[in-house]
Amino acid sequence: MRLRVIKAYFIKEMIELIRTKMIMMPYVMPLLIVILFGYGIKMQVTGVRTLILDNDNSQISRKLILKFEHSKYFTTTLKNMSEKDALREMKKANTDAIIIIPSSFQKNSLKGVKTEIGVFIDASFPSRATTIGNYIQGVILDLANDFHIDSSGVININTRNLFNQALRDEEMIVPGLIGMVFLIAPAIMTALLIAKEKEEGTIFNFYSSSVSKVEFLVAKLSAIFFLVSINIFIVFLVSSYLFDLPFRGSFFLFWLASEVYVFVALGFGLLVSIVSSSQIVAIIVTLMLTILPSFMYSGMIMPISSMSGEAFVLAHIYPVMYYNHIIYDTFLIGQGFDSSTNILYLLLLFGYGIVLFISGLLLLKKEIK
Amino acid sequence: MLEVKNLAVSHKKKIAIKNLNFQVNDGEILGFIGADGAGKSSSLNAIAGVIKFDGEIIYNGFSYKSPKEVQKVKQNIGYMPQGIGLVLYKTLTIKEHLDFFTDIRDIKIDKAFLDYKKHLLSMAGLERFLDRRAGDLSGGMMQKLSLVCTMLHRPKLLILDEPTTGVDPLSRIELWEILKQSAKEFNTISIISTAYMGEASKMDNILLFDEGEIIARGSSKQLIDEIKPFVYDKIETDKKHITISDTTYCLENLENHHQEPTLESLFFVNALKKDRLLPKLQISKSKESIDKNIVVMKATKITKKFGDFYANKDVDCELKSGEILGLLGANGAGKTTFIKMLLGLLPLDGGELELFDKKIKSSEDRNKLKSQIGYVSQHFALYDDMTVKENMMFFASIHKIDAKKSAQLIDSYSKELGFERYLDEMPKSLPLGINQRFSLAVSILHEPKVLFLDEPTSGVDAIARAQFWELLKELKEKRGISILITTHYMSEAEFCDRVVLLKDGQKIADDEVENFYKKFPNANSFEEIFLEYYR
Repeated sequence: MRLRVIKAYFIKEMIELIRTKMIMMPYVMPLLIVILFGYGIKMQVTGVRTLILDNDNSQISRKLILKFEHSKYFTTTLKNMSEKDALREMKKANTDAIIIIPSSFQKNSLKGVKTEIGVFIDASFPSRATTIGNYIQGVILDLANDFHIDSSGVININTRNLFNQALRDEEMIVPGLIGMVFLIAPAIMTALLIAKEKEEGTIFNFYSSSVSKVEFLVAKLSAIFFLVSINIFIVFLVSSYLFDLPFRGSFFLFWLASEVYVFVALGFGLLVSIVSSSQIVAIIVTLMLTILPSFMYSGMIMPISSMSGEAFVLAHIYPVMYYNHIIYDTFLIGQGFDSSTNILYLLLLFGYGIVLFISGLLLLKKEIK
Repeated sequence: MLEVKNLAVSHKKKIAIKNLNFQVNDGEILGFIGADGAGKSSSLNAIAGVIKFDGEIIYNGFSYKSPKEVQKVKQNIGYMPQGIGLVLYKTLTIKEHLDFFTDIRDIKIDKAFLDYKKHLLSMAGLERFLDRRAGDLSGGMMQKLSLVCTMLHRPKLLILDEPTTGVDPLSRIELWEILKQSAKEFNTISIISTAYMGEASKMDNILLFDEGEIIARGSSKQLIDEIKPFVYDKIETDKKHITISDTTYCLENLENHHQEPTLESLFFVNALKKDRLLPKLQISKSKESIDKNIVVMKATKITKKFGDFYANKDVDCELKSGEILGLLGANGAGKTTFIKMLLGLLPLDGGELELFDKKIKSSEDRNKLKSQIGYVSQHFALYDDMTVKENMMFFASIHKIDAKKSAQLIDSYSKELGFERYLDEMPKSLPLGINQRFSLAVSILHEPKVLFLDEPTSGVDAIARAQFWELLKELKEKRGISILITTHYMSEAEFCDRVVLLKDGQKIADDEVENFYKKFPNANSFEEIFLEYYR
């Protein structure tokens, strides 16, 4: 391996990337994905437009209304109208939920007589409706506690859902996104940088010269590795400051795992570039191989432990799961190097990268197909 | 010394070359000539060690049998594949290219190297443009830069695949000078393929390729002498023969005056030997009478600007009915831009255009005339995933020709233009020459009065080119179609009635072909006349 050859390719790559403005790609694309998805994917519900009809107008009912008004999950309107009119409002999509407090609500509930609060929820989005329903039940339960009412006798409330209120979506989504972008961006860049030479014919400079396969690959990959490594820090800052993510674990582990993971991504791009002869094919194949699996099997929308059968196997074949485990740990849990799973996964990733790189090296031929 | 023994290359299951044997001595320039797909590029790829091959290649005692084994001698090889500026990085400057190639070739930077580099650059005339990016160079300069980069590490074995194709005559001469000098000074073995017979005649030895085999070898003189008995002045005969323009080729003895053959004659004699007689291409006469000397296109001071750059500046041009007008010029002289403006594919930035005595001001004016115009673009605009027949049917329906008539037209044109047996094949699998004829058929389906052809013969072999020109002559004579054609083959100027020469977007000459020869009585070919204007 001659350093001079690698340096020459490295410099050439940088000049080309800067002049073609491709250098923006490892920065703009991941940030765009993190910001769009980070803000865009919301599973929690806030500011539910809630219409309250108070037919009781008692101390307790006013207290209940106050509780809704003080919650960030609800934007309440108090109105004096018939149930029918209220439902019409919902049909017009002017309100998401309607709560009807019956007359003699205070009297009955204090006496322990069964009473019924009417709740209507716009269920166009079923999962959202379930969440809203749970929130409303939670508020009512809270009220019952305040007044020492035996809730089970009066309103049937499922207390299990209260847990949801504590979880912020960002803490779920953003670490998962990191695993996605550090796979996609380096893979596409690698696939492009090699496919571009094939498409334009400059690959002949490699074919017909004494540059060895290792020199060529190390030169190409190190250019991208260098660019993406800088981005590891940028993405970290964005997650911590823009999305207010806690960071409880070891930064060194985060950095190390990210570099190893980027190495794996480079391997993906390398293999794609070997089979594709044009840039457009390289982009499409890389996107197919990276975006969906890294989203599906990242544990972002569905925990791996709850997967079964093929999905479980696929998730374990794909490298995303291992990296995400470490990322969730460094951001949210903080076990770091004390956890043997973390170390095992890190080694697995490293092995993964080595296998990809070596297969790339073996498959790459210094000859025309 | 380079020795090639039983070399064979196949692409997938198709055999590209088989059983190739030859030798080249140090300091020798060996030329490869042959039709498109005859196996020249495959042979060069194999020798350069960038493609899988069978057989053995021995370079200075070092034998290699696979691309992998070539690795050890690659430092001695300089290879330039086919394609203008193919190995250049468009965004890198000339200087950056030189640095890059110096490094990847691991060249020791000492005084000797710096002197050599300077020498190469001055030979190529590039030393003033060190900061210019490769993408901004003209085709000729790109090829010169590619050659400099290929020769930077002083290869002892130089392999060049059509280094001059598509390059203007002046740059071609300059490239040739560099090669000659390096062969002499450094005792380099040079193997060069070329589409220009004028160049081939300057090489020490020539190999003529056909269907993956060498069918003739020797110096230019030897090869020409060999075929002398088969070349006659044009004559009618019952014996097996090929007649193209004013020459008749026949393997049997004819009672006629012999003509001095050129290297191009080799191709025709070989076709005769292989019993590949050319189908007689004839176009049926149109029923309408043909008016001559009507001006069908008149361009006055046409100008096109791209930013600060004038692609065309104040070009005047006239096309009369029943005339073949050749638009000649180097790469980037503005030929394609001019045709595109005539077609309305690019808006005019200045000047006036008249078609059939009507001033063209809006696209509506133009739409009325579309049925009168036929066009064949540089890269035949055919659909690769439809068969020849489907392509023709599609274009017929675009021109609103009813199904019955279009079936008739396809039938008659495919016979007349000699691609009948290819009707059900995909354009991609056909030789370039067939595609070219079938594109021509597509462009005349709607019976236009004017035909614009943009470099239709580029990359097509000598026989197909000659046939194509015969067809154009037929179209002109029997249909009265006016033809405007661009080409960078200067030898093709001879087939035109009138020639317009473009240089840097401006017209520098416009005259009938005979008058050019009157003006330059010493010129042997149109190429020399062209050079007079360009120097």
